[in-house]
Amino acid sequence: MALLQISRLSKEYLGGTKALTDVNFSVAEGEFVSIIGPSGAGKSTLLRCINRMVDASEGEISFDNINVSNINKKNLRLLRRRIGMIFQHYNLVNRLSVIENVLHGRLGYKSSIKGVMGVYTEEEKQRAFEILNKLGLKEQAYKRCDQLSGGQKQRVGIARALIQDPKLVLCDEPIASLDPNASKIIMDHLKNINKEMGITCIFNLHQVDVAMKYSDRIIGINNGQIKYDGPPEALSRDMIYSIYGTEAGELITD
Amino acid sequence: MESSSTISLNTLKKKDDAIKYSGKKIRIAAVGGSQTAINMTLFVLVAATVYGFLTFDYKSMDFLRAVSLTLGNIKTMFIEARLSHITLVEAFKELSITLGLSILTTIIAAAIALILGLLSARNLSNPKIGNVIKAVVAFIRAVPTVLWILIFAVSAGLGSVAAIIGLSFHAIGYLVKAYSETFEEIDYGVIEALKASGASWWQIVFQAVIPSSASYLMAWTFMRFEINFMVAVAMGAAAGAGGIGFDLFMAGGFYFDVREVGFITYMILGVALVLEVISTNIKNKLLY
Repeated sequence: MALLQISRLSKEYLGGTKALTDVNFSVAEGEFVSIIGPSGAGKSTLLRCINRMVDASEGEISFDNINVSNINKKNLRLLRRRIGMIFQHYNLVNRLSVIENVLHGRLGYKSSIKGVMGVYTEEEKQRAFEILNKLGLKEQAYKRCDQLSGGQKQRVGIARALIQDPKLVLCDEPIASLDPNASKIIMDHLKNINKEMGITCIFNLHQVDVAMKYSDRIIGINNGQIKYDGPPEALSRDMIYSIYGTEAGELITD
Repeated sequence: MESSSTISLNTLKKKDDAIKYSGKKIRIAAVGGSQTAINMTLFVLVAATVYGFLTFDYKSMDFLRAVSLTLGNIKTMFIEARLSHITLVEAFKELSITLGLSILTTIIAAAIALILGLLSARNLSNPKIGNVIKAVVAFIRAVPTVLWILIFAVSAGLGSVAAIIGLSFHAIGYLVKAYSETFEEIDYGVIEALKASGASWWQIVFQAVIPSSASYLMAWTFMRFEINFMVAVAMGAAAGAGGIGFDLFMAGGFYFDVREVGFITYMILGVALVLEVISTNIKNKLLY
């Protein structure tokens, strides 16, 4: 049984914009999947439908044998804490320290009061430091997040997702705001997490070459529909052009 | 060098020639309407001012004499300032009552406005609830503080209770707007990130929203505290709320003692200055 099963998923925003049309695919546990496609193709919407940050109009999503579509509010919290999310703009609380931001990933496991007061157990704090150490951020633990570089901020974002003990990590353009070197560090960390900890990763990516290099599987989306779903080796140049809707030779791919 | 500069001059001249006026007037402002509205307003204000001065009833007042007497009064007030009807200790005690009044009303207002501000911020709450709160609060703000105090004086009687309720009421209206706009300014991504990790609404508010906006909340609250202090002085006189404002009123309106008025004014000015220094420090420390 696949970890994530998406069938006949459609999303129409208020005002009639069709973001997704009849999307079907499934992801097995431990897969490293990239979703590529032009801006506005519906990649972000697709990712956000999985953890219900966006409500789908039609279709079904099941995650770990739970039907995500008609889940109540309490169970939605339980679902979300098992799905980590990483963002293009890191989305950290800049005025708090690195370690506090990492521990935010545990809020889903806490009672409201403890979360409000920011009370974490010693085990959680220890785990947070282990993760930071692994990501090479031990020295930065007590720095405020606005003192970090982009690459460091994204690593804090990864740490926040990891401390949730997720089965699946959704990455929305994780390297779109980073320089090539920081991008490589981030992608290597994510690949490690996938290999060593067996966490399934689904990526939105703009960089086709990065997607080809790192992923086990690539899904190409254009205009809300899946154009390609298969291994990176089988993704031809013509296919890439058709995903991006351009003529051959007009893309910067490497 | 010489020749090249002449060449560039020539090209400049040529370019100058190239810009030729052709046809009708070209508009460069983005929107024509707003400029007209501003001009109209200015014209009406100038006309009303001129009309006002022309139709004043000056009675038999000698303008120059009036000015010189007023200046004399101000001079006595501020150069020969001293207390005569109350002692210095009493004056400080009354000043502390006024300060207490403003601190109390600021705390009450801040606590209530924090909740209402969260409920009315577009990014945190149901838009319907938010709009209702915003409308009510706009109405509260539109009515001046003095009127609220007089309204509450009907039930609570003229005095400190009416003053506290009335002052807090208007301060709530002010702070709810300030707070909710501060909350709306924060990056939605942070809220989204915590929501996606399974955090509850209260957890998001206390772990992300308030830490991100704390310095602005402090700055707004302190600004309202300064306003509350000024209003508390006035209310001491107007609504009998007690404090230094009442002594000021007695000195000016009852004893006609301009020297005492001067002294009390200095005291209030001193407090206002200290508050200003503190608020500047808070802002510098917290905002960066």
